[in-house]
Amino acid sequence: MGGPLELDALTRRYGTVTALDDLSFSVRAGQVVGFLGPNGAGKTTAMRAIFGLTDLDAGTVRWNGAPVEQAERRRFGYMPEERGLYPSMLVGEQLQYLGRLHGMRAPDAAVAAKTWLERLGVADRSDSKVDSLSHGNQQRVQLAAALVHEPELLVLDEPLSGLDPVAIDDIGAVLVERAQAGCCVLFSSHQLDLVEHLCEAVTIIDHGRLVVAGTVDDLATSGPCRLVVRVEGDRDASWAHLLGGVSVSEIDRGAVRLVLDRSVDTKAVLQAAMGAGRVTEFTFERRRLSEVFREALG
Amino acid sequence: MNLVVVLAIVVVVVALRVWFRRRGHSIRRPLRIPVVLEPLVGDIGLVATREVRERLRGKIFRVGTLLLLVAVAAAIVIPVLNRGHGHSQSVGVVGSLSAPLRTSVVATGKSIGSTVRLVDEANVVVADDDLRAGRVDLLIVDGRRLVVNQAIESTDTSKTAQLVRAVSDAVGVGQAFRAAGLSAAQAAQLVHAKPLPVTSLQPAPAEGAVRTTSVVGLILVFVMLTQYNAWILVGVMEEKSSRVVEVLLAAVRPVQLLAGKVLGIGLVAFAQAGLIVAFALVLAKAVGSDLLQGTAPLALASLLVWLVLGYAFYCWVYAAAGSMTERQEQVQGLAFPLSLPILLGYVMSLTVAGSGNPSTFFDVLAYLPPTAPFAMPVLVGLGRATWWEFAASAALSVVCTVAVAKLAAGIYRRSILRTGRRVRLREVVSRVAG
Repeated sequence: MGGPLELDALTRRYGTVTALDDLSFSVRAGQVVGFLGPNGAGKTTAMRAIFGLTDLDAGTVRWNGAPVEQAERRRFGYMPEERGLYPSMLVGEQLQYLGRLHGMRAPDAAVAAKTWLERLGVADRSDSKVDSLSHGNQQRVQLAAALVHEPELLVLDEPLSGLDPVAIDDIGAVLVERAQAGCCVLFSSHQLDLVEHLCEAVTIIDHGRLVVAGTVDDLATSGPCRLVVRVEGDRDASWAHLLGGVSVSEIDRGAVRLVLDRSVDTKAVLQAAMGAGRVTEFTFERRRLSEVFREALG
Repeated sequence: MNLVVVLAIVVVVVALRVWFRRRGHSIRRPLRIPVVLEPLVGDIGLVATREVRERLRGKIFRVGTLLLLVAVAAAIVIPVLNRGHGHSQSVGVVGSLSAPLRTSVVATGKSIGSTVRLVDEANVVVADDDLRAGRVDLLIVDGRRLVVNQAIESTDTSKTAQLVRAVSDAVGVGQAFRAAGLSAAQAAQLVHAKPLPVTSLQPAPAEGAVRTTSVVGLILVFVMLTQYNAWILVGVMEEKSSRVVEVLLAAVRPVQLLAGKVLGIGLVAFAQAGLIVAFALVLAKAVGSDLLQGTAPLALASLLVWLVLGYAFYCWVYAAAGSMTERQEQVQGLAFPLSLPILLGYVMSLTVAGSGNPSTFFDVLAYLPPTAPFAMPVLVGLGRATWWEFAASAALSVVCTVAVAKLAAGIYRRSILRTGRRVRLREVVSRVAG
């Protein structure tokens, strides 16, 4: 197993439903890992299991090789899917309180709360009640609550949902920055383009089981070759359908995206395209994360 | 005197209001008590500190405390004012009334606790006007008949009724002495005959002051227990419904979170109770209330002890119930059945405190932890509980509280993270027991 965080053969059943089915994966230090899967795949259950928020029928969560206990969890930061803060408590005080629950001294917690509110652009709301903040600002405060004690592991359940592009950029930058500082970052999301942009690695699960895990680069360059070809005046890419070992995965405003078997010679593809008209674009492309995701889930 | 008392109450209430306002403005200043607590009990202290700070800031707490203080002040001061009000009654005199009879009327007033002022009326018409206008309570016409504004029933026990009956007797007797040919000095000697002293084999049953203390104390314990229980029930439910509990339990254990909440709300509760009792004692001393006489202080101390024991018992029950709910309507559905034992103990105790006559069933209630906080202080106030009976009931309550706390902590741990629908007691209890 690779990183300081290891989920080893986690199994969790709710009656007849198996939420986690012998799930194992690890997260390396210094990596932002995207945790992907369709709705109901078991992502939230797995994240809650890291914090002991759900009882496991089998399996162990380890941190640096040892089973995770309360002392370790104090060094973790968690942002649950359904946001959790005291609605009528002041923002600054709330962050200090959470910092102290994670073992910080009062003066350090005060400084950290101020620093993170500034970093996330909500310093002016320190004396406001949480329920008086906009959705976006509440989300920023929720992230600050997970970060205030400078955790070694950051687990975020859908941290980017419902945010505007500016907030996504801000929060994304913080996640990358934390990883660069040596923190393990694991976050779930359905926004695959963002995950591809932010993450170094991804883990995809379905029905509580691991389906795919690896770095984004490895996953993007693995599998069949992808070509984007644009032929002037061609709208339906009928020329491509005639080629053996070539399938059309997408046609977007004149640009056809082709998936080639390993045996296919790209020169033959180019010649076929030129035969259909003037070729204005002929580009080799990496596999997109959304394609990896769809292929993994069949 | 009355004015001084009213002024004193106003000053205290205004001072408290100002103090609370200042607290509101210095909202971020740390509180001393919790700061002392933190190193003692670690995470539990941190959780308790937050509870104390948030509760003290709440408007409900401030307004509630003020209302309780006003209620206590009224309960102490109004009887004193009423006692004072009975001191002065006016008796109009129409025509002649001999000096010995005048003296007799005044003395009669004193014997029923009133200071009688005699008002000489010019004639019957003027006197009737004064009587109708309430300027006098009673007319003596020519020393031969009495006139009152409204007919007095035989069951009327008001001061005026008492005065009318006493004066009627006294003047009638005085006239009889005179008719019998006794001299003024002889008549006066008979009128002022000294009553024989009375001794008793048993002490008097609970007197007014003790009953008042019991009843007012019971109401206070009921109001305060209900309030604190509601705080715990709603506080736990809100932590669950806002999902903040997931963030908290990622750092602390469920039992620490639960214990901190119970401790924090308990501290606020006892600070409030202490403030009210101190206020009551100081006010009672200042206005000369009967609150500090007889067995009343013992009843008061007993109420305080049982407020603590009652809170200790019920806080766990309500915390466990709160952890099983996540919506207001679910809380309302649980609040009533939970409050039934409290209501039973409260109503039974109020009845017995009024009648002074406890039944065997009531004696049993005084030993059951859910009803003992109300029933046992009443038995103490009535002088019907020995010290060891008190101690036995308290010990039983402590033992049951420990058992209930263990069960409640298990239910809380099982329920607090289960969302979506109300958790059924059977599900969690079977798992806790298993």
